[in-house]
Amino acid sequence: MSKEEEFVEIVKQKFPEANVEIKENKWGRRRVWISVPRESFRDFMKFLKEYDEDAHYSIAIEEDVGDAIDFSIHLLLKYEDTPAISLIVKTSVPKDDPVLPDISDIFPISLQFEREAMEMIGIDFENAPDKRRLFLPDDFPEGIYPLRLDDKGIPEEMVKNAGHPYLLRRGK
Amino acid sequence: MIRLPLLSTVIKNLFKKPATNPFPKTEPVPVPENFRGKIVYNVDKCVGCRMCVTVCPAGVFVYLPEIRKVALWTGRCVFCKQCVDVCPTGALQMSDEFLLASYDKYDSKFIYVTPEEAEEIKKKQEELKKAKAQAKAKKSQ
Ligand code: SF4
Ligand code: SF4
Repeated sequence: MSKEEEFVEIVKQKFPEANVEIKENKWGRRRVWISVPRESFRDFMKFLKEYDEDAHYSIAIEEDVGDAIDFSIHLLLKYEDTPAISLIVKTSVPKDDPVLPDISDIFPISLQFEREAMEMIGIDFENAPDKRRLFLPDDFPEGIYPLRLDDKGIPEEMVKNAGHPYLLRRGK
Repeated sequence: MIRLPLLSTVIKNLFKKPATNPFPKTEPVPVPENFRGKIVYNVDKCVGCRMCVTVCPAGVFVYLPEIRKVALWTGRCVFCKQCVDVCPTGALQMSDEFLLASYDKYDSKFIYVTPEEAEEIKKKQEELKKAKAQAKAKKSQ
């Protein structure tokens, strides 16, 4: 049994509500995709830390998918010998209640990604120790989230284009 | 003891020629083959397929539907050569030119097809059309 399969067995036992899938790309590299409901998101991340205390948190990605916002985390587990387990944990929050628990006490780096998700797409991370903006300037308007595809996204008036001289009729 | 491991190298280098190219007193370092310099646009070859508009990451092209050509502003070009690779007629080429500094971002050397030139091309195309129509009419007589 490969590392991935072993891991997936444990996850299935402990989190029957999670949706687990192993995908393989055309070069034979395998990746585990797990989606968990937000109720078990925090417990799942805790479990990962217990499963491998050196688990490497690579990146978190927030995405507007219509009615909901997806939040995915890419981790690398058991990387002492290659290939490691490449894992994507995905959870989803409805747009009318975009709240997720903060996990920065489990994976300290996650706070940076949570701050980004808060300002870029408007997920609220409950109990996050620092809710200041990270990338957006301080004079950026409240209530506008650049990565939203709906009417909370960037309005047309905020989009600037330096202009093509043909259209500006400025060519000599 | 103070260690100065670079000292011997420095002393040796003091007796060597400087390895610099004193441009503009000399020619610049020659460019390699297939160097990606300023875009050259041959408006006569262009068939107006709009492939370059689709592929350009920097917004260099504006499509002119009336004359089925494109207007370029290479001031924005990032020299990625994608337009040259995609152009089916070879109307776009990369030159060896790289000394492109200018006082004006709308300098004429950055612009192909101004509104005035577009007007001229339009007139020419119309004349050509008329001539063709006449030739056809003569033939069918
Ligand atoms: S080289 Fe690249 S950036 Fe420049 S005009 Fe062509 S496609 Fe655009
Ligand atoms: S890809 Fe070439 S032929 Fe097509 S519009 Fe651009 S320059 Fe003209």
